[in-house]
Amino acid sequence: MKKSGCGVSEDTGRLIIKRLLMTKLAVLLGFALSIQSFANGYGQGNINLRLEKTPLKKVFRAIEDQGFFRFVYKDEILPKDQRISIKVKHETVENVLAEILGNTGLSYYKLSENLIVITRERPDEDARALVAIKVTGKVTNDKDEPLGGVSVQEKGTNNGTTTKEDGTYSLEVTNPKATLVFSYVGLGSRELAMNGKNVVDMKFTASLENSLKDIVVVGYGTQKKVTVTGAVATVKGSELEKSPTVNLTNSLVGRLPGVYAVQASGEPGYDGSTIRIRGTNTLGNTSALVVVDGIPDIAGGLERINPADIESMSVLKDASAAIYGSRAANGVILVTTKHGKTGKPQLSYTFNHGWAQPDRIPKMATATEYAAINNATYIYDHISDPSEWSAALTAFNQTGTYISPANGTQTAPFQPADVKKYADGSDPWGHPNTDWFKTTLKTWAPQVQHTLQINGGSDNIRYLASLGYQDQDGYYKNSATGYKQYDMRLNLDAKVNKWINTGINLTAREEYRFFPTQTAGSIFRMLMRGRPTDPEVWPNGLPGPDIENGQNPIVITTSQTGYDKDKRDYFQVNGRVEVLVPWVPGLKLTGMATADKENRIEKVWQTPWTLYFWDHKTYEADGKTPLLTKSVRSTFTSPQLSETNYNYLNILLSGFINYDKTLGNHTINLLAAVTKETDKEDDFNAYRTNFISPAVDQLFAGGAPQQNVGGSAYERAKLSYFGRAAYNYKEKYLAEFTWRVDGSYLFPQQHRWGFFPSVSAGWRISEEEFFKKSVTFVNYLKLRGSWGQMGNDQVYYLKNGTPTLYEYQYLSTYGFSNYVINNQAATTLYETVVPNLNFTWEVANNTDVGLEGQLLNGKINFEFDYFYNRRTHILWQPSGSTPASSGISAILPPENIGKTENKGYEFTLGYTNHSGPWSYSISVNGGYAKNKILFFDEAPGAPKWQLATGHPFGASGSPNNGAAFLAYQYDGVFRDAKDITDNKVDYTGVTPGLKPGDMKFKDVNGDGKIDGNDQVRLNKTQDPTFTGGVNIRVGYKDLDLSILFQGATGGLLYIGTESGDIGNYLQYSYDHQWTIDHPSSTDPRLANRGNTYYTGGGARNNTYFLRNSDYLRLKNIELGYNLSPSLLKRAGISQFRIYASGLNLITWDKMKIWDPESTSGSGQYYPQSRILNLGARVTF
Amino acid sequence: MIVTGVTLLAACKQDFLNTQPLNQISANATWADGGLSEAFVTNIYNGLGNGGFDEQQLSSLSDEAVFVHPGRGINTINEGTLSPSNLGWQSGTYEWGSMYSQIRATNVALENLRTATFDDTVLNHRLAGEAHFLRAYYYHQLVRYYGGVPIVDHSYGLNQDYSIARSSFSDCVNFITADCDSAASLLTGKSLAKGRATAVSALALKSRILLYAASDLHDITTAKSKSTVISSYANPELLGYTTGDRVARWQAAKDAAYAVIQAGGGGYKLGLSAPATSADAQNSYLSIAMGGGSNAPGVDKAASAELLFERDFSSQLVSGGPGTDGTSVGLDNGPNGYHNWAGNAPLQQLVDDYEMMDGTKFDWTNSAEAAAPYKNRDPRMYATLLFDGAGWKPRSKITSNPDPVNQIQSGQYETTPGGALLAGLDTRQSPVENWNASWTGYYMRKFIDPDPNIVDNNTRQYIPWPFLRYTEAVLNYVEACNELGQDVEAQTWLNKIRFRAGMPATTETGDALRQRIRNERRVELAYEEHRYHDARRWMIASATLGRKIVFINVVGNLKSGALAPSPYKHDETLYTYHYTPVQDNSLENRTWLDKMYFRPISRDEVNKNAKLIQNPGYTN
Repeated sequence: MKKSGCGVSEDTGRLIIKRLLMTKLAVLLGFALSIQSFANGYGQGNINLRLEKTPLKKVFRAIEDQGFFRFVYKDEILPKDQRISIKVKHETVENVLAEILGNTGLSYYKLSENLIVITRERPDEDARALVAIKVTGKVTNDKDEPLGGVSVQEKGTNNGTTTKEDGTYSLEVTNPKATLVFSYVGLGSRELAMNGKNVVDMKFTASLENSLKDIVVVGYGTQKKVTVTGAVATVKGSELEKSPTVNLTNSLVGRLPGVYAVQASGEPGYDGSTIRIRGTNTLGNTSALVVVDGIPDIAGGLERINPADIESMSVLKDASAAIYGSRAANGVILVTTKHGKTGKPQLSYTFNHGWAQPDRIPKMATATEYAAINNATYIYDHISDPSEWSAALTAFNQTGTYISPANGTQTAPFQPADVKKYADGSDPWGHPNTDWFKTTLKTWAPQVQHTLQINGGSDNIRYLASLGYQDQDGYYKNSATGYKQYDMRLNLDAKVNKWINTGINLTAREEYRFFPTQTAGSIFRMLMRGRPTDPEVWPNGLPGPDIENGQNPIVITTSQTGYDKDKRDYFQVNGRVEVLVPWVPGLKLTGMATADKENRIEKVWQTPWTLYFWDHKTYEADGKTPLLTKSVRSTFTSPQLSETNYNYLNILLSGFINYDKTLGNHTINLLAAVTKETDKEDDFNAYRTNFISPAVDQLFAGGAPQQNVGGSAYERAKLSYFGRAAYNYKEKYLAEFTWRVDGSYLFPQQHRWGFFPSVSAGWRISEEEFFKKSVTFVNYLKLRGSWGQMGNDQVYYLKNGTPTLYEYQYLSTYGFSNYVINNQAATTLYETVVPNLNFTWEVANNTDVGLEGQLLNGKINFEFDYFYNRRTHILWQPSGSTPASSGISAILPPENIGKTENKGYEFTLGYTNHSGPWSYSISVNGGYAKNKILFFDEAPGAPKWQLATGHPFGASGSPNNGAAFLAYQYDGVFRDAKDITDNKVDYTGVTPGLKPGDMKFKDVNGDGKIDGNDQVRLNKTQDPTFTGGVNIRVGYKDLDLSILFQGATGGLLYIGTESGDIGNYLQYSYDHQWTIDHPSSTDPRLANRGNTYYTGGGARNNTYFLRNSDYLRLKNIELGYNLSPSLLKRAGISQFRIYASGLNLITWDKMKIWDPESTSGSGQYYPQSRILNLGARVTF
Repeated sequence: MIVTGVTLLAACKQDFLNTQPLNQISANATWADGGLSEAFVTNIYNGLGNGGFDEQQLSSLSDEAVFVHPGRGINTINEGTLSPSNLGWQSGTYEWGSMYSQIRATNVALENLRTATFDDTVLNHRLAGEAHFLRAYYYHQLVRYYGGVPIVDHSYGLNQDYSIARSSFSDCVNFITADCDSAASLLTGKSLAKGRATAVSALALKSRILLYAASDLHDITTAKSKSTVISSYANPELLGYTTGDRVARWQAAKDAAYAVIQAGGGGYKLGLSAPATSADAQNSYLSIAMGGGSNAPGVDKAASAELLFERDFSSQLVSGGPGTDGTSVGLDNGPNGYHNWAGNAPLQQLVDDYEMMDGTKFDWTNSAEAAAPYKNRDPRMYATLLFDGAGWKPRSKITSNPDPVNQIQSGQYETTPGGALLAGLDTRQSPVENWNASWTGYYMRKFIDPDPNIVDNNTRQYIPWPFLRYTEAVLNYVEACNELGQDVEAQTWLNKIRFRAGMPATTETGDALRQRIRNERRVELAYEEHRYHDARRWMIASATLGRKIVFINVVGNLKSGALAPSPYKHDETLYTYHYTPVQDNSLENRTWLDKMYFRPISRDEVNKNAKLIQNPGYTN
C-alpha cells in the first residue's frame, strides 16, 4: 500500500487491526470502512505466495503483508498442527483461500471488499455473528417523548451516530452482541446490550446503573462505590472546571460535604482557600494530606493543578485515610489526573477569559461624615465635662470654636467653612472627597486560561499530554500584581507485555507571582486609612501626597517602587512498574519512584519613588494653579535588592504487593507495602543596597556596606510499612482491615515507630433477598462503619506568632543568631529547646458511621455520615502550666499532652429527573463539625469560665493561638449621665472614669468590679461549624445550566479598624454610633484610634466587636451550550462547547462590611474576587 | 523494582531516620570549643533588647514624656488600671518571662563553663565573668520592677517542680551584688570588645542596686509610714528591708559608687572648676548622648568614655522595620513635620524642671520667665528636647519651601493681626501627617543623631544605648553622701556635673541639697530609664508621676504693624509669643495609686506557680 486512506495511516490501521485480532476483539467497523476506502484504487487479484509448511496463521499474515486484505478470525479455530505449502502468482483471493482452506474445515466470507472473516464450516454462534448488522431504534424520555441529538455509539469503538429530531437512529455494527452507549448532555450516558436484537430502543430514565457502577479512587487503589466502607466524597474534574477561578482550592467549597474551605484573600498568587476536612481536629497542624497520583504531600500542593488535567478528586474523611498514615490524620485529598484513553488521538483546547473584581469593598465614611466624626471625638477627648458636650458641638458646627469653662478655648479640627467645601465639592484641590478604593482599583481585572490537551493510545500504550497557561491581573489600576503560570503534564501508560505494566507521569510547572514592593496588607491598610478629606490624586492627574512613609496607593500598587518577583518551578516525575506474577494469578508486585523538585527564586528590587505635594497656599505664576512640588518619599533613598534561592527535592520510593482472589462468593484483596521518603532543602539569600544607579537591578552593582548573605538547609526522612486486607461476600458483606507501622525522624530514636490499625465494614442491605422483595423502591442501601487510628508526627505550633514545625526536639542543640560586638555583627548561639527524649506519635482515633442509598431507580440518592474523632497524645508544649520563672517556658519541648474531640455529621441528598428535552437535578450537601478541647495544658488557677478546655478551638496560628475567643461580655452602652450615676459596677479596672457612650460589660463573676476575670471563653472561634452547598443542574437539549449556592455558619470575626485622626471610619461605624445629639444605648461612642477602654486597652476584646460571619452565596454558575454534533462532524470536531460562568455573584450575610469569608477584621487584606467568565472548549 | 525493594528493605537496617539538623550545632560540641562557647555567652546580651530604644520608651511611664499613639497599653499603666490580668505595655527588657529566659541562659553558661573542655582558661573566666554580670543585670531588672523575685541559680530540667517562692528583697540584692563581685573579679584585667560588660560595668551595676536598696521604698519602716498599701501588705520582706541598719546600706551604696568613680576612667569633662559656657555645655551633653555613634559636626566622640555599659547598633544588623531594632529613634520620636512619629513627647513638667542658668527654679508666675520660657535655661534642656522655634535639622522640602530656617513649629501663628491662626508644621493641625504630631508642643531630641545626613524618616542611626554611665555612679555617690550627711562631699561631686552642664555650683545642704540632687538626676539622666524608678524609690511618685499631663500652647501674635513672614519663621521682632501651659487629660488621665510602686505579676504566672505572692494592691 503506497498511500493512505481517509485519516488513518496505513501503518496505524494495520497495527490496530492486528491488535484486534490478537486480542480476539470484534472488528471495528469504522476501521474496516476506512480500509475499504483506501483499497478502492487497487485490483483484487494480486496475491503472490511462496510458502513451505507454514502454519495457517502465518499464511494469513503473509497475505496481509501484501497489503490489501485483512483477516478476522479467532485463534482457537485455526488447526494447531496443520502446515500449508502454497505457491501462487497473481492469484485472486478467492482462489488462494480455496486452496489453503481446503483441508482445514474452515470457510470464509467477505465482510467487505478487503475484510475477510474466517469461520468454521459449521460456524458457531459467535463466529457467525461477525457480520455487518444494521441496528435501528428510537430514543425517548420517560414520558415517551422522542429525544433528538442523543449520541449512540458502539461501545469500545468510535463508531457512532446521533438521533434525529424524532429520536430515531440507525447504525451498522459488526457484533450482534455489541453494547450501545447512549449519551445525552445533562443525563449522562446509558448502556444497552443488543443481545442479538437489531431494534434497540432506549428510554432515557434517570438510571441507577450508572452511578452505582462508579469507581471511586481510595487509598492505594480503586473500589466500586458500592463496596466502599469508608466515608469518601468525590468530585469529578469536569465539575471543578466549572469554577472560573485560577486556584483549584477555591473550587471545592460547597461541592464536597465535610470539606471546609475558607478563602481569606483574593490576591493573585496567594488566593488559595484553607482547606480542612471535618473542621479542626488538632491544636497543631490541621492541613489535610494532598496526594496527587499517588505522591503524598506533593510540593506546590493542590492549588495550581490545572483542573482540566483532573479526572477525579476523592476526599477520605474517616479511617479510610488511615492507609496514608503519618500525615493523613486530618484527612486525605486524592487527586487523580487524566490518563490517555485507547482510541484515536483526541485534541482538545479550552479557553477562558474572565474578569475579576473585589467581591466586596468596605463602604467608608465620606469627607463630611469623617469631619463630623473627628469634631465629635475631639469634643469627647478634650471637653472633660460631658455636660458641656452639647454646647460644644453646637459651637463647633456654627463657629468652629468653643470656649469651655473647664478646658478653655477649643477649636474644631474641621471648621464649618471647610466642611461646607467638602460637602459641595467646590474646591477639588483643597477640599476633596476622596474614595480611595475607587481611585486605586479598576472595575475589572482580566484573567485568561488556555489549556491544550492531547490524549489517545492503543492497548499497549496510552498517553495524555497537556499544556496550560494562565495569566491573572490584580485589581489595581496599572497593577504590578499578577500571577502567571505555565504548566505541562505527560501521563504515559504502557503495557510491556502480558505481565508487565508501566507508567510514567511527568509534571512541570512554573508559577510566577509578581507584586509591587509593598505588600497587599500595607496597600489595603492605606486604602482603609485614606482620609476622604485628603487627595490621593491631584485634579491634574499627578499622584498626591503619601499617607505616611511614602505610601500612596496610586503609586505603591504599581511598578514605580520596583518589583517583587517570585518564580517557583516544579518538576515532578513519577515512574511505576507493575509485575503480574505469572505463576500466581492475582499476585502483583509494584515498584514506584517519585522525584518531586521545587526551585524557587524570589527577587525584590526596591527603588525610591516620588510624590507631589501642595502647601495649600502657593500657586503657579497664573495665581490659580496650585504649585506642586515633587519629592522623594520612600523610606529609603538608595535602591535595595534582595534575592532568595530555594531548592527542594523529595525522593519517594515505594514497593507494593497486591494479591486479589475471588473464590466463589468470597473475594479477598491483600496489600502490603513499604515507602521510604527523604526531603532535602537548601536555600540562600543575599541583600545589597547603595546601588550605583536604579538602572541596574543586579546584585553585583550594589555597594558593600550593609550587604548581607544568609542561607540554611534541612534533611528529613520517613519510613513506613503498611498493608490492607479486604474481604467481601457477594459484595454484600464487606470488611477491611488496614495497618501501618510508621517511622519518623521527628521523634527520638527509641520512640520513633508507631503502629496504627483501622477496621471498617459495610453491609449492603439492598442485596439481601428479603429486602429486594419487600422494599422495592430502594435500589441501593448500604450501612457502613469505620474506626481507625492514625499517627501524626507534626510537632507544630507558634514560634514568634508563626506556626512552625519543630524538629529535633530530642537533641540538645543550639541555634544561630547575632549580636553587635565591636559595632559589628557577631554570630551567636542560643539554646533552642530543652530536649525531651520521651515523645512520640500523636494519635487520631476516628470513628464514622454512614448510611447511603438510592431510591426510585436512582432518582433520589442520599448519604449520611456521623463521625466522632478523638485526638490523643497531642504534641504540645506544656507552657500552660510551666511558670515563666523556670526559664524554659519559651523553649519547652513537645510532650504528648493534648486531647481533643471533634464530632459532627455530613449529608448529601440528591434528586435527578428529566422531562422531555429537559433534565434536571438538585443536590444538597452539608457538613457540621464541632470540636472541643478535652485536655490542654492550662494554668491550674485560672477561672473556670476562662479555660480553653471544654471549648472549641481553631488551628494553631488563628486568633488566640487556636483557643476560642476570650472576651468581655458587651452589655449595652451608658446612654447618658444618669445611666452612669445609676451604675453600681466598678469600672476602675478598665477606665479611670466613665463618660456617656461608654460600653457596659457584664460583671461575670459578680464581684461588683469589671476586670480581667470578667472575660469569658466563648463557644465559638473564627471558623464556621457548618458549611454546605446546593447544586442545581438543568439541561435543555444542547443547553445546560449549573448553579451552586454555598454557605457557612457558626464563625465569628473580630471587627476593628484603624480609624481616627490616623484613618477613615467604616460607613457602618458612622451609621452605628452614640452621638451627642443621638445618644444610643446599643452602639458606643466612636473613638480616635484605641483611645477608649473598649477600643484599645484591656477591654478591646469584647463581644460587641465580634460579629457573626454566617453567609449564603451564589457561589458558582455556569451556562453552557454544546453545538450540535451533526453540524460539527463535517468540520472534524467532535465536541464544541461554549459557556459563561461566574463566581461569588451574590452574597447574603449579616456582617455586610466585607466578605464574610474574610479572616481580617481590619479590612487590611486583598479582598476575595467576584469573577465573570466566558469560555469555549473544542475537541477534535 | 527489585532494586527498589532491596533499597527499601535495606533502609530499616540503616539509621535512615537519623537525620541531623543542618542549621544547628550540638551542645556538646559548643562547650568543647572556645569560639562557640563565646558565641553562646554573647547571645545572652540579646536579652538587653534595644536597650531603651523601643518605640515606646520608659520615659512615657514617667513625668518625662507622654506617648503619642493611643491604644498601646501605656495609659493602662499611667491611669492605674493595670492589674494582673491587664498588665499594660511591657518591654522585653524587663518583662518577667524574658528575664527568666535570659537568666536560664546565664545559668546554662555558668554550669557548662565549669566543665567546658576548651583550653583557653582566660577566655573561660572572661565568659564566666560576663555571664555573672548578665545574670546580675537581669535580676536587677526584675527586682527594680517587681521587688523580690524567685532566685533561680541553676538550669531547670524537664518535669521538675517549678513552683518556687519569691526571695526576700534583701536576698535578691545580695544575690545581685555577689554576681557583680564575681563578674568584677573575673573580668578585671581582661580585654573586652566594645559592647561587652567589663569589670567597671559590674561595679556600676552594683552601685545602682545598692543605691536602690538604701532608698525609702525599700526601707520598709519608711515605706510603711508613707503608704497604707505597703503597710497593710503581709509580706513586706518581698519589697524591702524589714530589719537591718539603713545607714550601713547608704554606706554600702556610697562605697560601691566610689569604687566606680575610682575605677571608671573619670568620665567625660568632669574636671572643670567652673561652669562651662552654655554652648560647650550643650555640646558636652549632646556628645555624651551620642556615645561616640554620631558623625555630626562638633559632636565629640571621646564622650563615649562616659558609657560603662552600652548596647551598640550596627548597619549590619538592621533587621526589622522602623521602630523595632533601635536604629530609628529619630523616626520614632521626631516631629511629624519631618514625617516622623513624635513618640515619647516631653511634658511641660519636665521642661519646667530645667533650672534657669543662674541656678534658680523656673517660675511661671515670673512674668519675664513666662514670656520667654526657653531663654536662659539649663543648657541640657536645649540638648534634650525640641520646642517651638528651636532650630533643628533641614526639613525635607516637600511643600514648596515651608521652613527655610529649619525651626520647630509647634505653635499657631497669626497671618494677619488678630486674624486666623496658621498652625505650625509640627502641630496636630499640620498639613503633614498631623495624627503623628506631638500633643505637648515638644519633641524629644536627646538621642536623635543631629547629623543632617541622617534623614530620620528614611535613614537609620547607630547611637548606642547607655545602660550604665559614669555620671550615674557620680550621682549615686552624691545621693549616698547627702543621705549620710556628708554634704560637702556631695556638693563637690554634684558641682562637677553642674559645671560640665554649664550650671553654677550649689552650696545647699540637707533636704535642700537632696531636692537639688534629685532634680539634677532628673535633668541629667532624662530619657535614660531612671525617672520611673527614682520617683518610686524616693516615694515621690504621687506628687510627680501621678500629675495630670501639661502641654504647652504657643500662640504667635503679630506685633502692631508687623507683616507675617511667608513662609512663616520664628521671629521675635515680628511676633509676640504667648506660652500657656494647658492641662490635658485627653490622651491619658494620669493618676497615682500606691500599687503602682511595683508591677503586678501576671495572673497567669501566679496561677502556674502556687508559691508566688502577688504584689501589694493587686487582686486580679
